[in-house]
Amino acid sequence: MINNFVFVALFLLGFYAILVKKNLIKMVIGLNIMEGAIFYWFITLTDRGGTIPIVNSSQVVTNLNDPIPQALILTGIVIGASTSSFLLTLIIELNKFTSSTNPDQLGGMIED
Amino acid sequence: MVILKYLLLIFLIMTAFLAINFKEVLVSIIFLSIFSIILTTLYLIHNAPDVALAEAVIGAGLNTAIFMSVISQVREGKNSIFREDD
Amino acid sequence: MSRTKHVITVIVLSLLGVTMLVALNKIPNQFEYANSISQHIVNNAVKETGSLNFVTAILYDYRAYDSLGESTIIFGAVSGIVLLLSRKTLPVSSHGLSFIVKRTFGMLTPFIFLFSIYIITHGHLSPGGGFQGGVILGAISIIFSIVYGSEFDYKRYTPTTKTLLETGGALLFIGLGFLGILFGGNFLMNMRFLNMGEGSLISAGSIPFINTVIGFKIGAGLAIIFYSMIQKTFKEGVDL
Repeated sequence: MINNFVFVALFLLGFYAILVKKNLIKMVIGLNIMEGAIFYWFITLTDRGGTIPIVNSSQVVTNLNDPIPQALILTGIVIGASTSSFLLTLIIELNKFTSSTNPDQLGGMIED
Repeated sequence: MVILKYLLLIFLIMTAFLAINFKEVLVSIIFLSIFSIILTTLYLIHNAPDVALAEAVIGAGLNTAIFMSVISQVREGKNSIFREDD
Repeated sequence: MSRTKHVITVIVLSLLGVTMLVALNKIPNQFEYANSISQHIVNNAVKETGSLNFVTAILYDYRAYDSLGESTIIFGAVSGIVLLLSRKTLPVSSHGLSFIVKRTFGMLTPFIFLFSIYIITHGHLSPGGGFQGGVILGAISIIFSIVYGSEFDYKRYTPTTKTLLETGGALLFIGLGFLGILFGGNFLMNMRFLNMGEGSLISAGSIPFINTVIGFKIGAGLAIIFYSMIQKTFKEGVDL
């Protein structure tokens, strides 16, 4: 119940930062906050109160946590970091042409 | 353990709110790093050690270093340094 | 943005939030785990793959093709960044930080390297694996750039070495996949060779080898990303 509320609050905070803020770096920060909220909610959705999914021998132990979502989220974290670094490279290149980080001042290059 | 989890969730929302509402960009990046560290502790409370290790090294280590190296090369606006236009 | 647009955005986002909360409350709390894939993996993974860590067994044996796709995404990002930010001349180097910090990191860096190799190679026995350990390896190059100056990092690990490590890692991963076809199985099948008992370091077939290869690939890739992004350092120049 409270996990759902925290997830919706963080997701909408990140979304607000992408829509409203007038600095390109703040938009990338908002994207990272959204990704963190999704990964956290995914882990709490499949948590059934067991122990960590590593065993000591080949005996069958009951009540382990689900190992499949943890593998998917590990992939997601790495992909999110590489996407953020690529977006920041594009911001560096844009800044050489327009010398500002305001998204409203980017449209002047398309004319004539 | 339940009190610790609720306290950390309150800190998480406060940190995210402060990260997008400061005028300087440098302070926002430091709050993003704090957000990542609190998220690591929350992953450990929910019994997921692999995800916690990945989030600690990538979120709090590499992401912050790349953001800091971008700020040192970006000139913001014509009139003022490190402020955002309204 | 004017005040009215701010207010309209907040109202629309709060309506979206209420809708999401109502929809998310209909997800049941307990799922059925009796006949699912997770139960099959928990029951049979140690017999079939030989690794004691289930998350590593999923990432490098049951779903090894997804790890190949993830390595390809990182390769694409590194290629894009190097294409956009390449330069012909070397940057002006900085002097690094103060003397105390240099001496401290001179003593700490071998232990960080040893820790990263431990996490990479013991991926099937304890939490860790190739991705986490590889990022720590990349962090060593970042430490060299920040603490000792970018000239030190350029002379210690030239960009040619980093490129060779990354492309060599990608090719070895595909080579390990074709090894499975050579022995009569599928692509990226886990060949159960070199088994010295469960719970020891040499077990679990080809999982430690895939871990090592991925670790070096990711470490070199992230070092290349950081080296390409620092272009303008301090003004006092050191001739290279």
